[in-house]
Amino acid sequence: MFRYIIRRLISAVLVMFAISVMVFLIFFATPGVNPAARIAGRSASPEVLRHVSIEFGLDKPLPIRYLIMMYHLFIKQDLTSYVNIGYKIIPQIIAAAPITLSLVFGAALIWLVVGIFGGMIAASNRGKFIDPLIMFLGIATISIPAYWLGEMVNLLTQDKLHASLFPWLPNGGYVAITSNPWEWALHLLFPWLTLAALYSGIYARVLRGELINAMNEDYIRTARAKGLSERRILYRHALRCSLITIVSLFGLDFGALIGGAALLTEVVFGLQGVGWLTYQGLTNLDLPLIMGCVMYGAFFVVLASAVVDILYAYLDPRVRIVT
Amino acid sequence: MSDDVLLRATDIVKSYSSRTKNLGQRTPNRAVNGVSLDIRRGETLGIVGESGCGKSTLARCIVQLLPVTSGSVQFNGVELTGLSRRQLRPHRRQMQLVFQDPYASLNPRRTVGDIVGDPMRINRVASHDDINDRVRDLFVTVGLDPNSLRRYPHEFSGGQRQRIGIARSLSLNPSLVVADEPVSALDVSVQAQVLNLMADLQERFNLTYLFIAHDLGVVRHVSDRVGVMYLGEIVELGDAEALYDTPLHPYTEALLSVVPELNDTDAPRRERILISGDVPDPSDRPSGCSFHPRCPVATEICTTQKPEFVELRPGRMVACHHPRNLDAAPLTVPPPTPPVA
Amino acid sequence: MRDLKVSFATRQGVVRAVDGLSFDVGPKEVLGIVGESGSGKSVAMYSILGLVRDANVEISGSVKFQGREILGLSDKEMQSVRGGEVGMIFQDPMTALTPVYTVGWQLVEQLRAHNDMTKQEARERARELLAEVGIPDPKSRLHHYPHEFSGGMRQRVVIAMALSCNPKLLIADEPTTALDVTTQAQILDLMERLQERHGSSIVIITHDMGVIAEIADRVIVMYAGRPAEIGPELDVVRSPRHPYTWGLLGAVPRADVKNRRLVTIPGNAVSPLAVPEGCAFAARCPHKMAICDERPPLRGAHQHLDACWLTDEQRLAIRSVATTRGES
Repeated sequence: MFRYIIRRLISAVLVMFAISVMVFLIFFATPGVNPAARIAGRSASPEVLRHVSIEFGLDKPLPIRYLIMMYHLFIKQDLTSYVNIGYKIIPQIIAAAPITLSLVFGAALIWLVVGIFGGMIAASNRGKFIDPLIMFLGIATISIPAYWLGEMVNLLTQDKLHASLFPWLPNGGYVAITSNPWEWALHLLFPWLTLAALYSGIYARVLRGELINAMNEDYIRTARAKGLSERRILYRHALRCSLITIVSLFGLDFGALIGGAALLTEVVFGLQGVGWLTYQGLTNLDLPLIMGCVMYGAFFVVLASAVVDILYAYLDPRVRIVT
Repeated sequence: MSDDVLLRATDIVKSYSSRTKNLGQRTPNRAVNGVSLDIRRGETLGIVGESGCGKSTLARCIVQLLPVTSGSVQFNGVELTGLSRRQLRPHRRQMQLVFQDPYASLNPRRTVGDIVGDPMRINRVASHDDINDRVRDLFVTVGLDPNSLRRYPHEFSGGQRQRIGIARSLSLNPSLVVADEPVSALDVSVQAQVLNLMADLQERFNLTYLFIAHDLGVVRHVSDRVGVMYLGEIVELGDAEALYDTPLHPYTEALLSVVPELNDTDAPRRERILISGDVPDPSDRPSGCSFHPRCPVATEICTTQKPEFVELRPGRMVACHHPRNLDAAPLTVPPPTPPVA
Repeated sequence: MRDLKVSFATRQGVVRAVDGLSFDVGPKEVLGIVGESGSGKSVAMYSILGLVRDANVEISGSVKFQGREILGLSDKEMQSVRGGEVGMIFQDPMTALTPVYTVGWQLVEQLRAHNDMTKQEARERARELLAEVGIPDPKSRLHHYPHEFSGGMRQRVVIAMALSCNPKLLIADEPTTALDVTTQAQILDLMERLQERHGSSIVIITHDMGVIAEIADRVIVMYAGRPAEIGPELDVVRSPRHPYTWGLLGAVPRADVKNRRLVTIPGNAVSPLAVPEGCAFAARCPHKMAICDERPPLRGAHQHLDACWLTDEQRLAIRSVATTRGES
């Protein structure tokens, strides 16, 4: 098991390296474009362009340019934005990361609980009224775009009903958990619910499908023949095997969200997390910022999938031998 | 090589490398470990063995669907190993396969008429109209309604699908048909229909069969000669009747003794010889004779020295240090009947 | 068991999977149920234990187990029957165990579901059970996962599980079909020895007449959900009465008998959607008569019953012709 973990982590590092090379190539080595102009952003002056050229070694061969870029990104951490002159990318991301982490952790907790319970209730009540009801709610939350739901929530809680129902709700923004945990939770409550809505629906539906498949397996028949209660069969046998799918799904979703995929929710609620930062980079065509965000996002996706694989091996003993 | 030998395989080895738990270390996994056999024209050679003994791998090596690791396969006197795909083509036509699973071995999105005609189209042996006529003929030959050419495989039962598979294998007029567990997925009444059909076709088209199965009854029923495989090796090979009556290898003897019998006669039942344990993993092959850890008569020599595959009786090859039943039937028994041509 | 009927309502119509099956299993008796796929042999046994979970299923008849009616018991009451008084062994040992738990865990789970045992006691008993079914080194094997066992060993684990609560009746559904012949022999041998020791009755479901001949005392031959022939094993194998049984026995290629042309049953098994009112086998029967449009009753003498309209004289004539032809 230990050896398996080490091996998985080594391969994660290799994947990270490959991603960094690819990102670098896409952004700075696409033929036909002047990389200096890209880095410097729109309407940069000739001096700025020259400065960029020297700083990033644009006259040097590709591998050297890659090394210089990575040196600025990771070791010196002084990659600066040329659009908002003076902003250093890495410290910005580091400042934004806790906001995103808070948002995603809270939402993940909610959607896991709601999704797993929803899926289980639906699966064990097949053919009754409650199953299609849960499935309908699921498809509804999946179909509602996060930005629309977020705006609606904002409209209601901050404007229309703010005076009557939600006077206790702060006016958006973010408070660090270290300074005031209660305010932290209060500020994030509706962002959490908004983000969790979509994923609750997906997870409930996926788990229901998995459970229903599992309940048709031979080992469930064996469990019944053993005289176990339906409850025990569902919880201990079917759920345990279905969780394997949920874990892999969760790892990817979670990694992607931490990596900035909660962009819409962050923008709608004015949370200045990594997604919001990416959004800023995109609207301003601030290439160094975008690249920093992409690398940061990739890091979490790769890390999460490594963690998933290790969890997998824990949940499913068969994986431990294979590979 | 004498004329009546259609295919001669000499010391075929097929090994896969598999990773073990130790990081990166590879051990060769010999699925087929030095098999030599002749297939004579017009005969049915049966290969019987338990799952994992390498019988299917052997079949695929013989028809060159899998490249052999070492050894040679001569077909009609031509060495097949080492030929390029293009060079193989004319020989491949002569060797056709019938597969085990009639559900998985037919493309579900093509009509059965196309499936049966495909080999002819691919090898460009006839014009479009000729192919259609021939497909209809083949359908009649294997006992299917030629008006069902435009239907899809799922519209047929398991037995009918196996007939389609057989029709496909016959479409290029092969001389050798390799059937890999052709009836093991079928119910017994349907199995009998397919076996009878195969026997009729053999007579009619002068086919040679290499018939692979795990069912000892089926193999005896169809075969002129039988080879018994254990862990990638043929441990005994000989005339079917003689081999079933007086097995010489202890594995053959045990295998035959445990086949459930219908006690519909008063003849005493063969005494059951239960061999303990499971077939070992081919990557962890025992020293000496591969069978010795499970063999009831194994001695010291079996653990250290691999027995030679020798002809103990006319036409009977055995690889064992302590062959059984040698005195049970004297050597004066009539020699094995030559294969029916 | 009396007049068991199981039917499924499907979009294509009503599938009569089991249509009027009655039999008794005595104490310590081994009853074999033989039939081809789709003959309803497995469905019959699953349905009496409430293992057929289909909203569209309809089960009728009466099943008395030790004098108690068990058809229509509530799920709760059924749970103590299943695994407690009736053990089950399934066809495919590869998929019959939950892959994510050790075999020890799964054995302990069953033991504790039916007995008032501490974990330690159950663990100890589980170890004994593994030893009893011939698994070497049972103590450490308790901690292994199903995928770490070979097929034969897994089937032993399933048997240990089925026997764990000393059931009065063991239902084995194709217990050796997925196994190699040497492993099959080991498992059949094991089942025989265990049955002697525990004194439970066994119902063994299989398509293999040979397996029946090895182990069963009495046989039921099923065709299209109906019993075609019931009788003591030796009688059915040596002097089969129903034309379907003739075909079934004649179609088996044998390792102990010289080559002969196999008897075939023309056509394919009837679709369970369209089982005729009369004899279900009539359409494939070479000896069909006019009366076969009526459903033949199950009748006979000396415990050897069959459902066929042929008279004894007719059967004798047909059989003697068949035998001479077979020998020529």
